Amino acid sequence: MAELKEIAKELLTSGTVAYIIGYASEKNDKTVPFIARTVEDAEKLVFTHHSVNNLSVYLKRIKKPESGKVGLVVKGCDLKAVVALIQESQSKREDIYIISPKCNTVVSDNTKPWNKDNIASKCLSCEVRTPSLFDATFGEIETVELPSDEQIELIKKVEAMSTSEKWEFWKNEFEKCVKCYACRQACPLCYCDQCIVDKASPRWIDSSATVQGNFAWNMIRAFHLSGRCIGCEECNRVCPVDIPLSLLNRKMSMFAVSEYDYKAGTSIEEPTLVGTYKLTDNEDFIK
Amino acid sequence: MAENSFEPKITAFVCNWCTYTGADLAGTSRLKQQTNARLIRLPCTGRIDPVFIMKAFQNGADGVLVSGCHPGDCHYNAGNFHARRRWAMFKEMMDFLGIDNKRLHFSWVSASEGKKWVDVIDGVINTVREQGPFTQYKDINKETEIPVK
Amino acid sequence: MKDYIITAENIQLLVNDVLKQGWDVVSESKTGVNFNAIKDASELAIKSDSKPSKLSMKDFFFPKTEPLFFYRQSHDGVELVDASPIEKKTLFLGAKPCDAAAIPVLSKVFNWDYKDEFYNKRVENSVVVSLKCNYSDDYCFCTSIGLSQKAEQGSDAMLTEQQDGSYFLHIVTEKGDEFFKMYSQYLKDTQAENNKPVESKYPEPAVKFDQGKVKGWLDANFEHDFWNNLGDVCLGCGQCTFVCPTCHCFDIVDENCNYHEGGRMKNWDSCQLCLFTKHASGHNPRDGQTKRYRQRIQHKFKYYEDKFNEVLCTGCGRCTRGCGVGIDIGGIMERIDKF
Ligand code: SF4
Ligand code: SF4
Ligand code: SF4
Ligand code: SF4
Ligand code: SF4
Repeated sequence: MAELKEIAKELLTSGTVAYIIGYASEKNDKTVPFIARTVEDAEKLVFTHHSVNNLSVYLKRIKKPESGKVGLVVKGCDLKAVVALIQESQSKREDIYIISPKCNTVVSDNTKPWNKDNIASKCLSCEVRTPSLFDATFGEIETVELPSDEQIELIKKVEAMSTSEKWEFWKNEFEKCVKCYACRQACPLCYCDQCIVDKASPRWIDSSATVQGNFAWNMIRAFHLSGRCIGCEECNRVCPVDIPLSLLNRKMSMFAVSEYDYKAGTSIEEPTLVGTYKLTDNEDFIK
Repeated sequence: MAENSFEPKITAFVCNWCTYTGADLAGTSRLKQQTNARLIRLPCTGRIDPVFIMKAFQNGADGVLVSGCHPGDCHYNAGNFHARRRWAMFKEMMDFLGIDNKRLHFSWVSASEGKKWVDVIDGVINTVREQGPFTQYKDINKETEIPVK
Repeated sequence: MKDYIITAENIQLLVNDVLKQGWDVVSESKTGVNFNAIKDASELAIKSDSKPSKLSMKDFFFPKTEPLFFYRQSHDGVELVDASPIEKKTLFLGAKPCDAAAIPVLSKVFNWDYKDEFYNKRVENSVVVSLKCNYSDDYCFCTSIGLSQKAEQGSDAMLTEQQDGSYFLHIVTEKGDEFFKMYSQYLKDTQAENNKPVESKYPEPAVKFDQGKVKGWLDANFEHDFWNNLGDVCLGCGQCTFVCPTCHCFDIVDENCNYHEGGRMKNWDSCQLCLFTKHASGHNPRDGQTKRYRQRIQHKFKYYEDKFNEVLCTGCGRCTRGCGVGIDIGGIMERIDKF
């Protein structure tokens, strides 16, 4: 942590960055997003097992500074969102100063202490605890004992269901949706100036939180993220009614890998999955 | 008896440059085909947003067909190649959500393939007829519909 | 009013009886996410020491989406079709005091100039039996709003968990009295001095701020540097307003409409969403999250008080617990108090 503060102070003093988007401690162990604009602010920056937020969401939510880069504290997993934003021409690599820690997993429930049974599900299959793209890094990798990945088991379980069982499963989940759009707001890749649900003429997606309206919303959001979702699971975390949004997103990411050998957010140079095609793409399903 | 009396409603989203003309050709050639499909003409398969498909189901379609130009024949060069990826993903997603793939069909039909059009659309209609009405989707429609006394 | 003792088993029997009478029974769901209409007493979750559910129970008085009427066009004009009437009676069982207390607060705005018949009908048809709360965490601040773990506002009766596992039932309103008279076979008469509550694992939350002082500051400081960085990290999702038992903004839209027919729906809306104040011209007077978040605070702790003499908050802490970026409304009040 001392390292992070030093890096931050130096960047702010030298004027390399206009501000740093990072984490600060809140009550108990919890950390919250925090924007450090001064050297005093830099003292408050921390990075712990409770640094769950994907801060890259702010790249598109906060106005760009007039001069200097944006300093961003970003874990390996969330860094994929930065890569995706660059791939999709939403951010420029040279505008961001990436401070990426070596990460030892984060909690699933931010109000409870970190331990083997309180680790975010995305960490269970993480391959990027040591980041590969950064301007500065800090911390040391420690061995972490991981519980088994229940999410992948659940995906397999849903896949094995009959059509009507699947439908019932999702209907029970989507029924709960209150259309708060927290999933969208927390998602670094939901950056459209005008989201399709906010379009009123014609209105493609019902704004009412009826079962039909909820199906339409969740279906189309998942589709818009198919092959783009980088799996930070922020949508899942902020959903007030605990809809397992990650299940659907991860399923689609798995499909992108198996079908197109494409992993979202891995390389700045690579074209996006839907932004390109191959002549040899499968078309068995087309008559 | 009851089963036989069900006639499915099919919405077909078709490309202006190929399938639409192909279907026209079937008509002018007086090829016999079933009449359950409503065609919606769009400039390219690349313009066929999956939200249209969803909307069709919402508005009572029992099945959907999406059809465009063969690979390499796209009027705009690559619209159908892009569409192919999207369809594959959309189909996979629909399946995971519990929407039967037997209700969602894709095809390449060119402007000269009047006969193929008839085969495709008859095939789709027959498959969907076997599935019966898409009550699953219609049932979630009730809340915003005029209550029946 | 009267006091009774009711055993846990008798609550179950009572609930099944109530269900048999054709009533709905609503209690917190076992997952702790929301409130549910249960089908059998076995689904009841009456837990005095649990965290408030993520979603409050306002959905049952002011649904997230509800039809107002439907319309149909015919040759000789437009026919209006009423939405199905609200007839069901509902028993709410085990609501927390901070949940129940939201009802009288909401009633004011829904009866201010226009009387919302849908809301009123639902309140009229309900009996609210709350449960003395034995929970608190860093985000609870009911005591700063003038409520407490045993506040009775909005309740028709209140249960208190007893040391022996039974419940002390205190009747608060006439409506509560009438209701329990129908089920007297499950109750045993008692006196107030026999109320022997279990000891609460969690203390009553400390008073964090002085509501009057905060109000004074809000009156004077619509423009203040304090607001500037407050909205910085807010994502502008509507989570805080949607889970809140007292937030009540709504939008009216036509749904499922074509040229011939459609339904007019009343849906939850949120001052935190970017479209909320956007004019048709494209101009948006609350054009950033800072202004939107200020609105939320001002509405709750100033405007509502100006108008209805009541704070638009029960201190349940839901908005904070659920906020993805940890914006803490009680903490903000504390900071204002210290100015
Ligand atoms: S997924 Fe990997 S990088 Fe991200 S928080 Fe978990 S361990 Fe850290
Ligand atoms: S869809 Fe969810 S998991 Fe995927 S990038 Fe967006 S917030 Fe992250
Ligand atoms: S966060 Fe959850 S409740 Fe809110 S809109 Fe998204 S899916 Fe629906
Ligand atoms: S305060 Fe939190 S919950 Fe409310 S809009 Fe902002 S980010 Fe969302
Ligand atoms: S503003 Fe927050 S603390 Fe107050 S009643 Fe609403 S959810 Fe509860």
